[in-house]
Order: sequence, then C-alpha cells, then structure tokens
Amino acid sequence: MADQHTVRAYDKDLDLLERRIAEMGGVAEKMVIDAVDALAAGDATLAHQVVGIDPRLDVLQREIEEHAILTIARRQPVAIDLREIVGAIRVAGDLERVGDLAKNIAKRSLKIGVETRAPRAIVGIKHMNDFATELLKDVLDAFAQRDVERARDVWERDAELDALEDSVFRDLLTHMMEDPRNITFCAHLLFCSKNIERIGDHATNIAETVFYLVTGSNLPTDRPHGRQETDIETDARGEF
Amino acid sequence: MPAGTISPFYAARRWRNRIWMSLSVVAAAIGLIGLFMILVVLFWQGFSGLSPAVFTQMTPPPGSSGGLLNAIVGSLILTVVGVLVGAPLGLLAGTYLAEYGRHTRLASVVRFINDILLSAPSIVIGLFIYEVVVVPMGHFSAIAGCLALAVLVVPVVLRTTEDMLNLVPNTLREAGAALGMPRSVVIRRISYRAAKAGLVTGVLLAVARISGETAPLLFTALNNQFWSTDLTQPISSLPVVIFQFALSPYKEWQQLAWTGALIITLAVLALSICARALAARGATE
Amino acid sequence: MNTAVNFNQSAANSKVLVRGLDFYYGATHALKNVSLSLYDGEVTAFIGPSGCGKSTLLRVLNRMYDLYPGQRAEGEVLLDGKNILAPDLDLNLLRSRVGMVFQKPTPFPMTIYENIAFGVRLYEKLPKSEMDGRVESALRRAALWTEVKDKLKASGLSLSGGQQQRLCIARTVAIKPEVILLDEPASALDPISTAKIEELIDELSGDYTIAIVTHNMQQAARVSRYTAFMYLGEMVEFDETNKIFTSPRDKRAQDYVTGRFG
Repeated sequence: MADQHTVRAYDKDLDLLERRIAEMGGVAEKMVIDAVDALAAGDATLAHQVVGIDPRLDVLQREIEEHAILTIARRQPVAIDLREIVGAIRVAGDLERVGDLAKNIAKRSLKIGVETRAPRAIVGIKHMNDFATELLKDVLDAFAQRDVERARDVWERDAELDALEDSVFRDLLTHMMEDPRNITFCAHLLFCSKNIERIGDHATNIAETVFYLVTGSNLPTDRPHGRQETDIETDARGEF
Repeated sequence: MPAGTISPFYAARRWRNRIWMSLSVVAAAIGLIGLFMILVVLFWQGFSGLSPAVFTQMTPPPGSSGGLLNAIVGSLILTVVGVLVGAPLGLLAGTYLAEYGRHTRLASVVRFINDILLSAPSIVIGLFIYEVVVVPMGHFSAIAGCLALAVLVVPVVLRTTEDMLNLVPNTLREAGAALGMPRSVVIRRISYRAAKAGLVTGVLLAVARISGETAPLLFTALNNQFWSTDLTQPISSLPVVIFQFALSPYKEWQQLAWTGALIITLAVLALSICARALAARGATE
Repeated sequence: MNTAVNFNQSAANSKVLVRGLDFYYGATHALKNVSLSLYDGEVTAFIGPSGCGKSTLLRVLNRMYDLYPGQRAEGEVLLDGKNILAPDLDLNLLRSRVGMVFQKPTPFPMTIYENIAFGVRLYEKLPKSEMDGRVESALRRAALWTEVKDKLKASGLSLSGGQQQRLCIARTVAIKPEVILLDEPASALDPISTAKIEELIDELSGDYTIAIVTHNMQQAARVSRYTAFMYLGEMVEFDETNKIFTSPRDKRAQDYVTGRFG
C-alpha cells in the first residue's frame, strides 16, 4: 500500500499546491517582520518594500485557487486529498489577508513619518509582533508537517496574543492621556496593534485548517480567549 | 531500406503464402468437382426416369415398369417414426448433460458412450436390433427398422442439443433464477427458447443422416414389394430398393434405382439447406 | 470485530442483517467473518479492489450460489429477522423478495412485453388488462415506457444496451421485490445510460432496499447512502458514504478511495 497515487501526476498536482503555500508563507512571514521593523525604525524604504511585495501574494493566492479548482475538476478528489485541497484554498486565503494586514502596517508607518514618537509605546507593539510572527511561523511549520499537536498549540497560544493586545491598548491609552501630542501617533499604533492581533487570528484559522485536514473533524468553536474589556461583539474568531 | 524495395525475407514469405493459398484452392476445387460430378451423374442418369409414374406406382416385378411409391412412403414412415422415437431421447439426454449434470460422473460416461455411438458402423446397429427385436418377433418388421434408425438419431441429437444448450450464456439462466424461476421453467422457457434454432438444426441433421441409411434396414425392415403401412410387417424403403435394383440385370430396375438415388440426394440436399438457413437465422437473432 | 465497521447490530430499520458470514468456493475461504446491515429503503454500495469479495457477498444475499455445487455459506443473513441461509428455505420465494440485476444486460429471448409478464406470471394469475397495467407501470418505473410503448411486441434483444439493462430492471421490479441487488449494473454502458441508471436508482430507493456493487467509486459516492469497503474477503469499513469519502477511518479504505492502490 503506497502513499503515492497510482496516477503520479495527481501527486504532482498536490505537490504544486504544497510548494506554493510554502512560498506564500515565506513571503507573508517576511512581510510581517519587516512591516513592524519599518514602523519601529521609521524606515521608509523598508516600508515601501513591504508594500511593493504584496501583489506577489495576491498572484500566488489566485494561482493556488485556480490550480485547486483544476485539480478538483480533473481528479475528483475524495477523503484526505479533498481535505488537502480545501485546506490549501483556505490557507492561501488566510495568508493573503496576513499580507494585506502587514501591508497596512507598513503604509501606516509611512504616514507616521517623522512625527513625534513615543518609543515606549513601540516596545509593546514590537513584543506583540514577535509573538504573532512566532505563531505564524509555528502554524506554517505545523501545516507543512501536518502536525496536529503543534497546530492545536498555536490555536491555544493565540489567547496570549489577545491578552497582549489588551495590555498594549491600555498602555497606548495611558500615553494618550499623558500627552495630547501623542494622540495621533498612538492612534496609528492602535490600528497597528489591531492588525497584529488579526494576524494572530489568521494563524489560528490556519491551525483549524490543519486540524481539519489531518483529522477530518473541527476544533471546538469556542477557542480560549485572552481578553475581557475589549470584547465588543466579536465572533468566535475574534474578528469584528 | 530504401522505399519501394522488399527484403528477401518478405519476398520468400509472400511466395510461400501464394503456394499454400494455391494448394488450398486446388484441394477445395477437387472436392467441389467430385461433389459436382456426383450430382451431374445422378441427374444424368436419374432425371430421365423421373415421371409421375415414379410417385404413383408400386415397385414392379422384374421386367416390367412401375414406380417407387411404396419405397418412398416406406422411407417416410421409417424416418418419421425413427425421429419421433430418437429425437426426444436425444433432446432430454442432451438437456441433462448441459443443464443438470454438467460435471457429474454419469454425464462424462454418457458423453463418452455417445461419442462412440456417433461413429458406430450402422450395420452393427442393424445387427443389434435384429437380435433384440426381429428374432423375438420371429420376422422382419418396420418397427425394427424404426428402432434401428432411432438408435442412429439419438447420438446426433444428443450431441447437438448439448452443444447448443452450452452456448446459452449462464447469465441468462441466472437472470431467470434471480426472478425465482424453478429450474425446469428456466430450461423450458429460456434455455430452449434461446437455443431453439440450434436444436432444430440438430434434429434436421439427424433426419438427413438416417434418410440415406441402408445397412441397418437390411436386417430389420427388410423390404416389401407391395404396398404396406403395417408397422409389424416388413416395409419397403428407398435405400434398400436402390440396393436391390441396382445390383439386378433388369433395365427398368436399374433406371428406377438411379431415379431413387436422385430423389434421396435431392431430399437430403433440401434438408441440409433448411438446416443451414435456420442456423443462420438463429445466429443473427 | 473490526472497529471501523460501524453499525448497530440490532437496528430496527435493518432490512438485511449479515452476521459473521463466511463463504467458501470449495476450499477457498472467500468471505471472512463479514458483517453489515442493509437499511430499509436505503442504498448501500459495496466497493473494493478486484477479488475482494463484493460480488460474492451480493450473491449470497439471494442465495444465487446455490446454483453451483461446491460453494457454501456459513453464518447468518437475516431478511426481516429470518435467516435465509437455512437449508429448508424456499429459494424461489426468497428470490421473489430479493431481486437481482446483472452486469451484462440479459433480456430473455422474448418480446419486451413477455420479458416482464413472464416473471409476473410465475407468482400471479392476472387478467390481460391488469397484466398490461403491470407491464406499463414496471416500464414506467424503469424510465423505459416512453421509449418502448409502441413496440412492446418487438424482441427484447432489439433494444440498445442501456435500454436492455433498464428492461432487466423493469423485469425485476415488476414482481414487486423488497430488496434489489445490482451487480455493476452500469459497467457495460455508455455514460448517458449510466447516468439514467443512477437516476433510476435514486428514484427506486425509498421504496426498495438497494445494494449495489460497483468498481466506479464516484458512482458509489453519488448513489449510495452507506458504503462498505471490502478487501481480501474482509469487511474493512462500513459507514455512511459521506464519512467514507471525506474522512475514512481505515487507512486501506483511504488508500483505495483516493486511488493509492487497487
């Protein structure tokens, strides 16, 4: 009983999806790291780079979808093959959104420019981003390895990111109350922190996809949440 | 190899092919010519004797003219009764071999004996019936002749019945069984119907076979110069009459012998053609 | 008992219940301890690689193997609670309740009308008008009426392959069975005829309990509610079709349906 299809071209089709997802993952990861680096350092060049590479993700996502649809039409996949293809479509969508969120952070950093900055505020954001980047990296590894435990771990750790976002929120509020000149800057940072938190949510989406792909069933709809005060009408994924 | 030239191997093969083809054609021609010549001679000699008198008058005493009416009628009776006795036996036995007992010991034994009987010398059959029927009866009779012919009919009909029934695909029988049909109904209404043309062909072939048999009749039905349809008495028949008249020195008798031979040949020819036509129709259904 | 075989042994809506079935071709052990359930009014598909025993299993359900000496079955096959493997069972009556359609269309060498009336006459004595009605309703059920209503006296063999197969199905439903067994009914047909047969199966389910053996996995996925995957004479996985084709539990089942072997 081989793990390869009797028709080898089928395996090639699935491998192609795999490789494209890996490429998207690499690009998205880099975008996330660079975006916040650009924000922290006020590096306009880096920010432009991040914005410039986003179209690549869009192209990749469209390619993956097209290829997935063709594979469905040609191979009539069932069971694990079907779950893999559906998984690839979902993950591609999530990664494309991650790229968009990173791009938005980069664009914001361009807007902030050389305005008054409160370095202490940035620290919190950086910390959040490091955490989110780790989540993303781990979940992409879990996807590549089809590792359910690792995926579940990411799924649970997102709660910490939510908690972080809460504390950053309070922090920024304090900054704004201390000095009204900080308000513009901190307002921008608020949006950035929201974006980073959403990157984490997308990571949990990918984790759920990994779980479904491997086991055929879904993770419970109630994920452990890390926030209390800022809970305003969010659904189970923490999105507005 | 440049286009247009043929390798020596291929040329040699082509020559061999031509030689063998020619040999086959020649052999076929020889056979056909032989057959043709028989027919020509028969027609030549027998046709002139064909007249209404042949079909209306009895066999004459030596020296006078007459017909073959009693011989023709006698042959008909012998053939019909022979087939009526032998064909049902052959049919049912063939059915057993094909439907019920395909792989049983009994079936193999029956098949074996049947093949032997199929090619048994008909004179032996005649002698057998002589011992078994004529001697106890004390005299020759038509019935003995019928029985001898029946013994010749059975192997032919059995063989063709079994072969034709075996050609009916098993899925057809299963389809019948799947509807809840009892075995006998499946055989009667499905197997027989599917093999109908083949079965009839078998019977026709048997008829063609026995209509020309002479040897068995010599010891059983003997012959009868006069009109007789009494089954317990000797009866006239075309083959025996031909035998008797052909060996005689009388001109009229010899002529009648030729005519009789022609009649038998035409009858067998007609039967064979019928059998062929039926088989062809059966195959295209 | 194989844990991937998922059914309730005493389910009330089980029309045919197979328990611990063993089957032998002479000395060859062809079916090993097979258990499954055909639910009332549902379509169950038997799938598996060649030689796995799915056709053998199907033919046990109407004791077709009885036609051949040297083949025997041991175990229990309960039709509405009564064991049909009992030696004193009336086989013809069984086969009137459990009908079968074969891979190769087998119209009888009779007219189309007779093909259908013949089976009915085995069990009922109907006046001509009623018989006409029965023939018509059987042909309507098999989606064949409009195509043959003007040539009922034509030979059954004059129809196309797909029509012949539908005739065989009409013949089977005419005697009002409770269970219909289909042994690769569409494998000898073109795609359009196949689609018509699949539509037919859809329409018939509900009124009949149907079991279908098929080599074509997509067909099994399309027409059946339950699927049984067999391998080397064993029942490897039996579950709802949706489950088997999205996340089967047994690796062999998964490998088979995704085309990794078989």
